[in-house]
Amino acid sequence: MTEPMQSVQEFILGRNSKFDRLDGDLDLIDSRAINSLAFVEFIFLLEELTGEPIDPEELDLDDFRTLNAIEARFFKQKAAS
Amino acid sequence: MAVREIEPVVLDLDRLEQMAESGYYNPYTIFDWPESIDADKPWMSESLTTLAGTEMWDELTRDQQLALTRYETINFFSLNIHGIRELMSEVMLRIHERTYAGVSEFLHHFIGEENEHMWFFAQFCLRYGGKLYPAQPSLKADSVAHLSPVARELVVFARILIFEEIVDYYNAHMATDQTLPVIAREINRVHHQDESRHVAFGRMVFTDLLAQVAKRDPDEVPVVAEYLENYLQYSIGTLYNPAAYRDAGIPDALGLRRRALAHPVRVEAHDQVLKRTRKFLSKAGVSRDLIKP
Repeated sequence: MTEPMQSVQEFILGRNSKFDRLDGDLDLIDSRAINSLAFVEFIFLLEELTGEPIDPEELDLDDFRTLNAIEARFFKQKAAS
Repeated sequence: MAVREIEPVVLDLDRLEQMAESGYYNPYTIFDWPESIDADKPWMSESLTTLAGTEMWDELTRDQQLALTRYETINFFSLNIHGIRELMSEVMLRIHERTYAGVSEFLHHFIGEENEHMWFFAQFCLRYGGKLYPAQPSLKADSVAHLSPVARELVVFARILIFEEIVDYYNAHMATDQTLPVIAREINRVHHQDESRHVAFGRMVFTDLLAQVAKRDPDEVPVVAEYLENYLQYSIGTLYNPAAYRDAGIPDALGLRRRALAHPVRVEAHDQVLKRTRKFLSKAGVSRDLIKP
């Protein structure tokens, strides 16, 4: 796992004692691993890790639904470009 | 919304209604709006900025410090505007529901006054800041879906109450801060005056609905306590807006925000802001000590 994805995982596990580990395809929103109250902090974390601003009005929830989706949207795309 | 599953909320609001009527003022004429505000005065009490008491504040130039008080005022008033929009929407949906028939009269005062507050906060932001900060991004997914209908109803009013209590901590302090420009001080003073009634009302509704939650299922009370504690922390976090740091010309806004939020002096300051609310929640029977590890 890359360093930024490690930070993403630590953020979620640090707020959820019910999970020991997170599968890449776990639905983070339906499982409430990320809820509305944590979402703002999560966006700020992603902005800091990617160095790119995230426009709150352009959010696609599916980009945040699983660890795999987060990696594909925020980290792989950047590496490939 | 499942208000019909909730027992009617019955409260004695005669005194609050009389105060709302006798203290009524015209918000559109009460303020003297100057053409501009001196940039050499802080717009927010320096001790209430998000960097106060830390080395991060000391490291700023005086111009950056003053700019931070300006942009954090715009952020604080913007948070008020978005908070009011949210709470007015919720109250509007309920005002003629059977559950709230007994408190409908006061809810009319409440909505009216909140609309007026939203107007003067926006006036300030647009006249002197040229903008509002946008609302925080939120998940459309419901973070209270795991709660019973009556607990969800409690959370609606708890969010309103917590928001008002936090804001009031700031308003009460700035209402008498002579270092602020008159218009900034006056807005804080007038808002503080009205909010004391809203907080009193909010606490009464909260107590009524919490009793209904506890009666239905006492085991749900710790779950509500956990949500409320998270909401307190979330609310504090909204005061630390990286956009305000950027606008004040402070570099590394996100890193600064992260360091400031976790700084021991700031953690102590957060406890001070939340002290009164936590005391009320404990007394009401929904202390954070109930949260299961």
